[in-house]
Amino acid sequence: MALVGKAREAGIPLMKLIRLKGVPILEQLHLEERLLRTSSDNWCLINDGTNSPAIVMGLSGKLSELVEVRSVLQDQVPVIRRFSGGGTVIVDQGTIFVTLICNKEAVPDIQPFPPSIMSWSGQLYSEVFEGIGDFQLRENDYVFGDRKFGGNAQSIIKHRWVHHTSLLWDYEVKNMAYLKLPAKAPNYRLARGHNDFVCRMKEFLPRYEFVERTIKAIRSRFSLEPVADNIADIDVPSATHFAPSTRLLTDHDMREVCAASL
Amino acid sequence: MLSSRIWQRTGWGFRRRCLCLYISLSSSPSEQNAPVWKFFSASSSSSAPAPFRRARALEDINFNVSYMNKCCFSTEAVADLPVGEMVDVPLAQTGEGIAECELLKWFVQEGDQVEEFQPLCEVQSDKATIEITSRYKGKVAHLLFVPGNIVKVGETLAKLIVNESSLPALIFRDSEHVQSPSSDNEKGKQGGVPSTPDDDKDGRVLKEDVLKYAVMKGIIKDQSVSLNAECGNQSQPVEGNNSDATSKFEWTFEDKTVPLRGFQRAMVKTMSLASKVPHFYYADEITCDALVELKTSFQNNNTSPDVKHTFLPLLIKSLSMALIKYPLMNSCFNEESLEVTLKGSHNIGIAMATPNGLVVPNIKNVQSLSILEITKELSRLQRLASDNKLNTEDICGGTITLSNIGAIGGKFGSPLLNLPEVSIIAIGRIQKVPQWADDGSVYPASLMTVNIGADHRVLDGATVARFCNEWKNLIENPELLLLHLR
Repeated sequence: MALVGKAREAGIPLMKLIRLKGVPILEQLHLEERLLRTSSDNWCLINDGTNSPAIVMGLSGKLSELVEVRSVLQDQVPVIRRFSGGGTVIVDQGTIFVTLICNKEAVPDIQPFPPSIMSWSGQLYSEVFEGIGDFQLRENDYVFGDRKFGGNAQSIIKHRWVHHTSLLWDYEVKNMAYLKLPAKAPNYRLARGHNDFVCRMKEFLPRYEFVERTIKAIRSRFSLEPVADNIADIDVPSATHFAPSTRLLTDHDMREVCAASL
Repeated sequence: MLSSRIWQRTGWGFRRRCLCLYISLSSSPSEQNAPVWKFFSASSSSSAPAPFRRARALEDINFNVSYMNKCCFSTEAVADLPVGEMVDVPLAQTGEGIAECELLKWFVQEGDQVEEFQPLCEVQSDKATIEITSRYKGKVAHLLFVPGNIVKVGETLAKLIVNESSLPALIFRDSEHVQSPSSDNEKGKQGGVPSTPDDDKDGRVLKEDVLKYAVMKGIIKDQSVSLNAECGNQSQPVEGNNSDATSKFEWTFEDKTVPLRGFQRAMVKTMSLASKVPHFYYADEITCDALVELKTSFQNNNTSPDVKHTFLPLLIKSLSMALIKYPLMNSCFNEESLEVTLKGSHNIGIAMATPNGLVVPNIKNVQSLSILEITKELSRLQRLASDNKLNTEDICGGTITLSNIGAIGGKFGSPLLNLPEVSIIAIGRIQKVPQWADDGSVYPASLMTVNIGADHRVLDGATVARFCNEWKNLIENPELLLLHLR
């Protein structure tokens, strides 16, 4: 209560911080969706790596156009359709996730439109990467120079929005091979393949330092209250009828797509 | 042309909106090319500060339109509100400058009663899933798309029969400023812009309210055209959004509260900072006959169809030449350490009005660029600015700012500095005026007024005057630039 009072006095909104490590991405996305739709607090969720590789697609987008379906089926790589828009990524232990769920009034300086939110996040990350590499928000990506190391996606609802990012601290070349070159690519990509287009954050700073700097940058805008270190401890308002829309595609779904593309 | 009288009477945000509309409507760019700036007559009242954009602050600002629209993606329905009649609910521009979205799902069915701002459906654009909320209270009459369909921006998503009680009686009051309220629910306490009396609306000011006010004030002539220009971030008009608002509404005179958001909110901060700097102003008139002739010559001998010659690159290059002699004009002041840094590069910022608002990108290293290179770079920045695709590099690092208000009008003004720069130059329209020759005869001359705003902690009148004389000499006698040709 005292914390709330102080934060309110200072004019900075409160934000609850969840720090996770190695949590499966599907669980993370379910949690995020639940927090977005059923909670009225501001949340920051950081998941330092996920336990096993998975492909995460945006809410709409054709599987066959974005992913090498046959290899994915063969190698049994899980494919998840998340509740936010945006593109396709492959995530694993080398990926760091940073999610911000905000009430619109918590960030009143920006409009709840994708470009405003993205630009705001660009400033946040500019602070995180100050003095490190040539960081910028380029078109819709986070890049060092002209190489992407993180993308982002959003979901905007009536009074709140979520902005989540997956950042490549490290990645495996063979995993990138599961993703196709998307039809909608940013201009600066210039038809480069994955390996010429992306880069690894680990070439720029240590993992723990990135997380600390991120928390520090968020702290300059919100009054952060750490609430949990693992998913079990999180006290989420349990809305009885909440069913997440993020889902794992079944083998059956995948085989159908395969068959259709023959 | 927007007269100076209007600047005095309207609130800042509203002013800016008019400016953007004017720019997007004007069909023939003035001789002075795109950069535009707001100007006030020297006698403008204190309640109407002449704002300016900080190049650095632009990183903090997002240039999305619809700052007036607090509600997320409240779709743009017909501005006029016929009770009991069918209104269209179109897909509003999501601010990403894209032309279409995929409809994901409906939250309502045909026949459902909906409240104002109730979510109607969810769409997906490139980057985000977005809920579209209803602008009105009413009954869903028709749903025109099914999930999976691609809907073009501006197309009608659904049709709603508007309830009687949801008619927002638009009320206006003639007043001097727009003040930022302390809470969303305050209304009727501060003056300035249209307000709604309805408690449910939280005192929201919607875009149509402001535009109607503008029509009423005679500021905007064509309501339907301006609404079209306003609805999209890009110059392409939004389909299906024509409004008949001009004729059919009533208003009474009451206060309306407009919370300042995003762009303006940041501007409150930057302008407050800029206003702390002691400015002084130096004005002069420059004869531009030689400039006009030179530009015509460039145009006549132009072999490249992509390149369009205007006055601005010539002015920019000669500015840079003058800066070589007076580097103090191209410096930054650090008030803590009381140090002035004379900047090595001439990164000349050019104020540009775009559909998304004002931007000040800068051309880097003008001292090393030829006039042709400046022309091309200026054109590149203008294109990026109007597409809202300028990146941080383009808008940071400016060392001096040039503002061409001549495209809109006005002669003299008081621009505020673009901190941490120490000078800002505003140029007016080139006008043909009669001049006296020595023999007593009258001849026509093209004159351009120049107003230099400077930081009096760093610069004094003599320095600015000499600098201006140098620049003026180069503009009036452009052949002198040849002396420096390598």
